[in-house]
Formats: sequence, structure tokens, C-alpha cells
Amino acid sequence: MKINQQINKSTQFKVLSEDQIEQIFFASLEVLEQTGGQIFHEEALTLFKNSNAVVNGNTVRIPPFMVEEALNFYPRKITLRGRDKKNLLSLQKDTVAFGTGSDLPFTYDRETGERRRTRYQDVKNAGKLVDALSHYDFLMSHGIVGDAPNPQTYDRHQFMAMVENNTKPMVVTSVDGEGLEDLWKMGCLIQGGEEEFRLNPLFVAYIEPISPLKNDRTAVEKLLFAAEKKIPAMYTPCPSSGATAPATMAGMLVQSLAETLLASVLCHLKNPGMPLIMGGVTTLLDMKMSTYSYGAPELSLASAANTDISKWLNLIMFSTGGCSDSKILDEQAAAEQMTSLFYSYLSGANLIHDVGYIDHGTNASLESLVLNQEMMGLVKQFGKGINTDDDHLALELIEKQGPGGEYVTTDHTFNHWKEWYLPDLQDRSDYETWVANGSKTMGDRVKERTQDLLDNYQPKQMTQELKQELKKICDDADKRHA
Amino acid sequence: MNIDFERISELITKGQIEQLQEQTNQAIETGTEPAILLNKGLLPGMDKVGQLWRNGDMFMPEVLRSAKAMSKAMDILRPHLSKDDMGSAGKMVLGTVAGDLHDIGKDLAGMMFEGAGYEVLNIGIDQPNEAFVNAAIEHKPDVLGMSALLTTTMPRMGEVINSLKESGIRDEMAVIIGGAPVTKEFADEIGADLYAPNAGSAVELTKQYFAQNNS
Ligand code: B12
Repeated sequence: MKINQQINKSTQFKVLSEDQIEQIFFASLEVLEQTGGQIFHEEALTLFKNSNAVVNGNTVRIPPFMVEEALNFYPRKITLRGRDKKNLLSLQKDTVAFGTGSDLPFTYDRETGERRRTRYQDVKNAGKLVDALSHYDFLMSHGIVGDAPNPQTYDRHQFMAMVENNTKPMVVTSVDGEGLEDLWKMGCLIQGGEEEFRLNPLFVAYIEPISPLKNDRTAVEKLLFAAEKKIPAMYTPCPSSGATAPATMAGMLVQSLAETLLASVLCHLKNPGMPLIMGGVTTLLDMKMSTYSYGAPELSLASAANTDISKWLNLIMFSTGGCSDSKILDEQAAAEQMTSLFYSYLSGANLIHDVGYIDHGTNASLESLVLNQEMMGLVKQFGKGINTDDDHLALELIEKQGPGGEYVTTDHTFNHWKEWYLPDLQDRSDYETWVANGSKTMGDRVKERTQDLLDNYQPKQMTQELKQELKKICDDADKRHA
Repeated sequence: MNIDFERISELITKGQIEQLQEQTNQAIETGTEPAILLNKGLLPGMDKVGQLWRNGDMFMPEVLRSAKAMSKAMDILRPHLSKDDMGSAGKMVLGTVAGDLHDIGKDLAGMMFEGAGYEVLNIGIDQPNEAFVNAAIEHKPDVLGMSALLTTTMPRMGEVINSLKESGIRDEMAVIIGGAPVTKEFADEIGADLYAPNAGSAVELTKQYFAQNNS
């Protein structure tokens, strides 16, 4: 018998202490109470007016007790289900899922090598790869459907492009409340009705406030619609430290938490218990290039801290990783993507998006999605930590093989080596073998794999009827907006 | 009184706003020719800032502090300057197009123009096409700047240019556009005069444009 044992079943990682989390939380409450947020939406203002909040024009100030009350109501677990029923994804504390980002305006054309606008087919291809690659748990569109018939309805077509080739759970962006309603209707058709969707939603709706502390009409419209229908939704602040948030990480965290908490009160006033998810792309404005950085180490640091806060608040967390500022998929891209994959994974965020982004959120690359598959594998292995039970301590074995012994042929090795990470595209060969195999770089192997998957992987297709029904929603939207 | 123009330039590069305001007021009170103050003191200061910035020796917060100093000094100087004195540093109307709420990039661009001595009228985000046209009619800017960060809102910029044509005032101003999904090709397609990939290059490109078109 041993007492006072503490066994780490996985690697441990935390940025903030509980006292620091409390400091940030109380500071956010003060922001909501003293500074408040602006809201540009009539119904939302009315909801606040009829509550204990103080409304002056568009500015809403909220007493802390309203926040504390609202926070009691949010689910700590949501199980998403993809178009293929096997693809279940439980969002709960310290369960990590990776997925792509959305809406990239440009794409590197894999044939011409040139940057061009992203199209429907590119989104379909991204869906296919994400369906095929095991470490991706959910899909965001990766690119934007730039060739949609009407910008006002592009979201329906984009969703269509996503579901055509992908059977995993999703995170969706929408143009406005009406757009989200159409996506939800499409989602209900896929899940087999409104009730099924409510129990196991196909997707989470992606919605954002405007940092600092502003809430525009379309964002609030989407949020209230999500609340009404109990569609899981994240309200994810995208502050750039030094431009739309304080230049200190702590200040940025305080402000974004205030933005999240405001949404939590609003959703609670609309429909208690709606599945709200906390979010954040917390990064900085590069002060040399004036770009919103997806490769800064501060993005990883602030995001991990934000995840610490989410766990303390019992909120499911949508975070960011696997992204880069590099213009092409090169050494810089790999280094930056790996850094944020690592820390976002260790932080235990539940949905980690933007995997594969390059060019600070403006350029799509299918090859980048394939490269990140391998990198996610490496990261996950590290997260497993060290098992220290008797079998793993291997005392008996060490004794048995003794000084000068070997382990290659033992049963112990035969049984345990499979716990290691098995490289897929990563090359660990000796020099001669590498040359004999064509002296290929990682980039070469990634390209080949991408082509191979696009040519040969066959995602499960929808029935023609379902496709027709979904298409009808797109067509109707186009007619309404003609 | 002898005005130390180098000192004025230095106050700009160092972004010492209050001291620069003091010195500018003093210079005017003691009868310094405003145009000379502008051309020998303020503008060389901002040129230096531009240089340092392009070389990577100065960073955004520092540049914007300098731009603010410049802009505050210009507020004092402007009433004393004739149109000719101002040279290229004229008026700008700037906004983000309808349906688009992104404003950081636009605001940074605006600050850079202020730094170059422009009087910038920032009409804000989500501005309908008419707002641009009306502001152009009312304020007669030398430069009209538009920002769009969404593929879906980019077409508004072309529409504004067409409305300017219909109102018969298109040729009275240079139109400059920017934003993440915007490209040089797109700018050419819709008939904008200038495209700037970033705020830093916007002023320089505009200067070059005016230098070419006025000669
Ligand atoms: C921050 C951000 C936001 C913030 C904006 C906050 C704010 N106050 O501006 C919020 C969260 C509100 C937001 C909302 C949305 N966003 Co947004 N956003 C961004 C992000 C990450 C960074 C933009 C930024 O601030 N960059 C830093 C500034 C300094 O750079 P910049 O704006 O490009 O400006 C520079 C140059 O372009 C140029 N410039 C810009 N304008 C002008 C004008 C003139 C005259 C001149 C000379 C120069 C110039 O100079 C600037 C400085 O160098 C970009 C990704 C990206 N990297 O661009 C996405 C991005 C632009 N957003 C995107 C999307 C999809 C959205 C949403 C539709 C999401 C949604 N579905 O809800 C909404 C739309 C809301 C709306 N109706 O506008 C997409 C656009 C996709 C597309 N193809 O259209 C992008 C590319 C990200 C992505 N891949 O998803 N967003």
C-alpha cells in the first residue's frame, strides 16, 4: 500500500494559477459593471432593459450577480454528431478536438502554383481531406466559396460544399441571422429533424463580437437565433493586442472575457441553458508589419491562459492553433503551426480551430492540412505523459535482462512499442535509404499524399434526396436575394 | 526669433506632442512663415519617420505617436496655410464599405495620412455607397480611401467609383483602396487609381501618384 500518491495520467500544463484566474475574472466583472459594452440590436437592448442591467443608449452595464447567475446554466458537455453517425465528438473538460479554420479568401492553385481566389471546389477538397485525416475531429470551411452566385447567400453554398465530402462535426460561419437559420434547417435535415439536431448538433455556430466591447447587429442576431433554437454557438473575441485590446496579455484576457460574459448574460436572458461556448483568437498586431498575427507565440500563450479560465468557469472552450503568418507552406509555417498546436493541445481546449492556416488567415493550402495531420500526431503523443505502473516501470524486466542484456527480443518490447508514435510522413530513414527513395523532402511527401487522397479517398456520400432537399434551401435563399 | 527646424523635425520623430504644439504656436506667433515651418520642419520630420519605418528601425506605436504629433501641429498650422502651401498634403475622406465592420486597417491607413499632413475625415465602418459620394461632394477631398476586408463587400468599392462618375466628380480625386482580400488586379478592374497592400506604403504610393499626375 502507498499513500499520498499523485499519478499524472497525462502531461500537465497550465499557464495561470487559480488566483490569477480570479484576478482576471473579477477584473472582467468590473469592466462589465463600470465600462459596459455596446449593443446595436433592438431586441437585445430590450432584453437588457427588462433585466437588472443598466442601459444607456446602446451601452449596457451589467452587475456581477447577473453574470454569476448566467454562468450556472451553461452545459459542460455537448456531443456533436457528424453526418456519419459514428463521428461523435464530446466537448467536455480537457477533451481536445482539432479542426480547420474558415473563409480564407485566397488559395494556392496546386497546378499553377499561383495565388487565386478560393472556390467551391476548394472547399469540397478541404472537406474531403479533413474527412480522410484521422487527427481532424471537425471541419470549418477552410476557404470561402468565392464563386457563389450571390455574396449575400454564400454561406449556404459554402455549407453545401462542406457537407458534400465530409461526414464529421462542423463549425459554421454565416452571413447573418437568416443565413444561420438556413444552415440550421439544412443541419436538421441531415440529422433527421430538429429534435435530433438539438440532442446531437451537427455543428456549432461561429459568431464574434467586435473588440473592444462592441456587439453589432448581425452578430447579435445570430446569437439570439442560436439561443432561441439551442444551437451551440461560440462568441469568440478576436482582439489584436495593442490595437483593439490592451498591449498586455492580461489586459487582453480581461477585455475578451468581459466580451464573453456579456454574451453569456444576453443568451441567458433570451433562453437559459442554451449551449454557449467560450472562444478567442487572442493575438497581437505585429508592430512592424501591422498584421494580425497567427504565428506569434503570444497567440499560444494567451490562448492557453484563456483555456485555463474557461475550465474554471466550466465553459467549453473554442481555441486556436496550427496556424501561421508565413506566405507559403515552408519552414516558418511548420515552426509556427507546431508551436500553437502544441500549446493549444496541452492547454486542453475543446475545439482547436484554424489548423492549417497560412498567410495570417488569408490563404488556403490543402497541403498545409496534410502537413498538420502529422504534426497533430506528434503533439498528441507528447500529451500522453508517462505511465508509471509496475509493468511500465519494468523492474522485473531490467532485473531479468541484467547488465549488458538486450530488450529487442523481449515480450515486453513486443507488447509495448506500439504505445509509441508511429511516424507517417515524417522521415527517420538512414541517408542511403532516403536517397534510394528519391531524396524527398517533407514538402514532396506532403504533396504526394495530398494528391493521393484527393484522387483516391472516397468520402461517404449523401443520398440524392437529401442533397436535393439541401439544394432547395440554397436555391430558395438565392431567389429571395435575387 | 530663430526657429530651430531641426529641433522641430526631431520632436516629430520622437513623437513629443505637447512640445511640438508649443513650438509650433511659438513659431507662428513670432512670425515664421507657415509654409516654411511645414516644409523645413514638419515634413522632413515625417520623411525621416517614413524612412526609419521602411528600414524596420521604427515600429507602429512609435510611428503613430509621430503621426499624431504631426497631425496636432497641422491643426494649428492649417488655418494659416493656403492650398498651394499644402502641396500634396491635402484632404482625405476615408471609410469602410457597407456590410463591412473591419476598421483597424482603415484607421491605421488614416493615421498614416494624417502623419503626412493630410486632413483625414474618417466616416467610419459599414458606410453605404451614398455616404462616400456625399462626403466626396461635401468635402472635395484630394484622396478618397475605401477599405473592405470581406470578399462579399469588395464589390461596393466599384459601385462607389461608378457613383462618383455619375455625379461627375470622379476625376477630382484619387481613389485608393485596401484590405486583406483586395488586390492590385481588383483595383485596376474597378478603376481605382491606387491600391495599397499596407498602411505604410499607402502614403508613399499616393505621393508618387500625385507627383506623376501633376507633372
Ligand atoms: C480582426 C478580424 C475581425 C474582427 C474585426 C475587428 C475590427 N475592429 O476591425 C471581427 C471579429 C469583428 C471580424 C469579423 C468578421 N470577419 Co474578420 N477578420 C479579422 C482578421 C483576423 C484580422 C483583420 C485585421 O485587423 N488585420 C490587421 C489590419 C491592420 O490589417 P488590414 O485590415 O488588412 O489592413 C491593412 C491593409 O489591408 C491596408 N488597408 C486596409 N484598408 C485600407 C484602406 C485604405 C484606404 C488603404 C490605403 C489601406 C488599407 O492597410 C492596413 C494596414 O497595413 C482577418 C484576417 C486577416 N488577416 O486579414 C479576418 C477576416 C478579414 N475576417 C473574415 C470574416 C469571414 C469575418 C466575418 C464574416 C466572420 C463571421 N462569419 O462572422 C465577420 C464579418 C463582420 C463584418 N460584417 O464585417 C475573413 C474574410 C474572408 C473573406 N474571404 O471574405 C478573414 C480574412 C478571416 C478568415 N479567413 O476567416 N473580423
